[in-house]
Amino acid sequence: MRGRLPISLLILTAPVVFGQRNRLPTDAATVEAGKQIYMGSCSGCHGATGEGSQGPSLLSGRASRLPDQTLVNSIKNGLPGTSMPNFPMGDEKITQVAAFVRSLTAPAIASRVPGDAERGRVLFFGAGRCSSCHMILGRGGHPGPDLSNIAAERTVHQIRQSVTKPSERIAEGYRGVTAVLKSGRTVQGVAKNYSNYSVQILDGAGKLHLVNRDDIATVDLKDASIMPPVANTTDANDLIAFLAKQSTRPQGGSNQ
Amino acid sequence: MKFALALFLSFTAFAQVSPEAIANSPNADWLTYHGDYSARRHSPLKQITPANAKSLVAKWVFHIEGAKKLEATPIVHGGLMYLSNTNELYALDARNGRQVWRYRATGAKGTRVNRGSAILGDKVYFATADCHLIALDRSTGNLIFDVEYASFDAGYGTSIAPLAIRNAILVGVAGGGSGQRGFVAALHPDTGKEVWRFWTVPGKGEPGSETWGGFPAEMGGAPTWTTGTYDPELNIVYWPTGNPWPDFYGGRRPGDNLYSDCVVALDGTTGKLKWHFQFTPHDVWDWDANENPVLLDATFRGKPRKLLVQANRNGFYYVLDRLTGEFLHAKPFVKKLDWTSGLDDKGRPKVDPSKIPTPAGTRVCPSVRGASNWMSPSYDPSTGLFYVVTLEQCDLIVASAKEPVPASGFRGTGNEGIPTEPGKFFLRALDVLTGDIKWENPMPGPGIMWAGTVSTAGGVVFTGDDDGNLVAVDAKTGKDLWHFSTGHSLFASPATYMVDGKQYVTIAAESDVFTFGLFDAQ
Repeated sequence: MRGRLPISLLILTAPVVFGQRNRLPTDAATVEAGKQIYMGSCSGCHGATGEGSQGPSLLSGRASRLPDQTLVNSIKNGLPGTSMPNFPMGDEKITQVAAFVRSLTAPAIASRVPGDAERGRVLFFGAGRCSSCHMILGRGGHPGPDLSNIAAERTVHQIRQSVTKPSERIAEGYRGVTAVLKSGRTVQGVAKNYSNYSVQILDGAGKLHLVNRDDIATVDLKDASIMPPVANTTDANDLIAFLAKQSTRPQGGSNQ
Repeated sequence: MKFALALFLSFTAFAQVSPEAIANSPNADWLTYHGDYSARRHSPLKQITPANAKSLVAKWVFHIEGAKKLEATPIVHGGLMYLSNTNELYALDARNGRQVWRYRATGAKGTRVNRGSAILGDKVYFATADCHLIALDRSTGNLIFDVEYASFDAGYGTSIAPLAIRNAILVGVAGGGSGQRGFVAALHPDTGKEVWRFWTVPGKGEPGSETWGGFPAEMGGAPTWTTGTYDPELNIVYWPTGNPWPDFYGGRRPGDNLYSDCVVALDGTTGKLKWHFQFTPHDVWDWDANENPVLLDATFRGKPRKLLVQANRNGFYYVLDRLTGEFLHAKPFVKKLDWTSGLDDKGRPKVDPSKIPTPAGTRVCPSVRGASNWMSPSYDPSTGLFYVVTLEQCDLIVASAKEPVPASGFRGTGNEGIPTEPGKFFLRALDVLTGDIKWENPMPGPGIMWAGTVSTAGGVVFTGDDDGNLVAVDAKTGKDLWHFSTGHSLFASPATYMVDGKQYVTIAAESDVFTFGLFDAQ
């Protein structure tokens, strides 16, 4: 029987959908001004981080994919037939709010992130043991998600969620699994896929086990992430600052 | 027993893929786009035979959401199938089609189709539409490197399946229709760093540059958009090249336009040119020579020879000596061929001047799509037959002397087709040495298919047909044995492999890959 999997598997949320953006300002001052207005006027319905409550989420779904101009118009004029009122606050403020809303779904590589990225790098490959499960450009271990291009594929918010609350969302293909085969052997890792007929397990050494369910006595799929949360705020900020730089292309994601 | 099998799978999924293993493919695995280095696409698997082919049933279908036109032949190794689509690669459990991982090149530009991947060591490789070579850990899909080898912003793009040889991953580019300068590049398997590059249009003052009449090399075309072949013993790469640019008007590029419409023989270590053979000098019909250069050894006119054969888009089946590039033989493999009265003893065509495209339009056979195209043929040494999908069609081709501007969509104008003469596809079996047609299997249909063949030691040839069927025919006679309607049009060539002792046949079709095996009663 194999030993326990190494800890610190970073579990990430669904990909960001990027498109039809870059016309609204992205500078920190505008975004911050927009945040102040948002907290006063919008967060009651859409949540403090755009996660949605009475109103829809601004982080996923249709609202996250609106073209810039449609977003501006929706804030300015409201959406008749819904609970979304109009906000007669002048074009400059509308633009600021829209810029903040947009920043919620911008890829991390295009976002300003507090934290010490260099200290985050040292933590990632050192004492934090992140790289015992995660790889960046071939450096690191298995079976966690590859993070080589994470800053182009996820928002800062999503990365933060994965670092500090990894069990809130577990990416497809990264649920912990323990399968006991009829032979008595135990295979442990993450379930890249599973059905009533087969399970594909990637173990901590990076080995794939393609197993038919006929050969399996029991399968235990874990609901919680096998990655422990990063509890220390400074460590989390520094790791996030480091991860927010990991993009394989200079314009990572923004042109898709 | 089953436990032992699971262990075996784990082991095979972890072993390194060596150039020697690739040279011995295909067997249970299918390790290159062509199945092997020679593009014979002939599998030693023989579980499926003419006697039992009627018992083939669908085993699984894998759907790619949003895929429009899958054109890849997948690679299969260690129980995993690697299937590429535009800017993405999937690893599937080859027994049941379950996705194991997917890599998406986020931010890649361009939307060209993708024809496949390569495998070497512990990595799989594929090229994005914007000419980045991506190397992934083949078990996990983790990114090892992402390296640009040509500039999308300068007009380059690619759909190529890379070719892995010892110490190099070979890639090519599109550009015959948009005025880029073609090349074959060898990139290091561990880093993506360029090892060598062969330009298919010579630079100013270089040998061959005199064949362009001063036309700028940077716009010359001669793209390398299909995957070449490789002789590991000779360490020679054989790469086919495309048309010179502009496609249909040659007035500004007087001469043969080397090395367009050629096969170039390159040293595998240095990329130095050993020889070239040009099929269509000064091409003004957009015929390319990008059809697979198939390598085989045989006794030709009483002498053992290392041969290279190609069913060229211009309508001729060619036999060359692959050591020297010597022209040995050619024969038309379509009836609709009128641009030349024949070839001289060096293989150079005598072009009918009335078949040079004009602004008013010129009727030419074969059509621009060609007598065959990039759809893969196969060669079965036991029957001595070369199985190739052919198109009988003519075109009205229009030329324009307009000033050419690269990457502007200008191609010197193009083909208009002849509505009253729709194209008709045939699967043909040619005698590999003479090019004589031994049998043919006509394909009714709309004339749009783009699927090739795979032959097997079981005596069955698989192909796609023009109505979207995967078809099994008897290798000796061409007789229909079995078919399955995919409900899609076919733009890919099939492959065959074996996992857990069971032979599978697979073909990509528009948005899905379909995989078949013999009916299993248990």
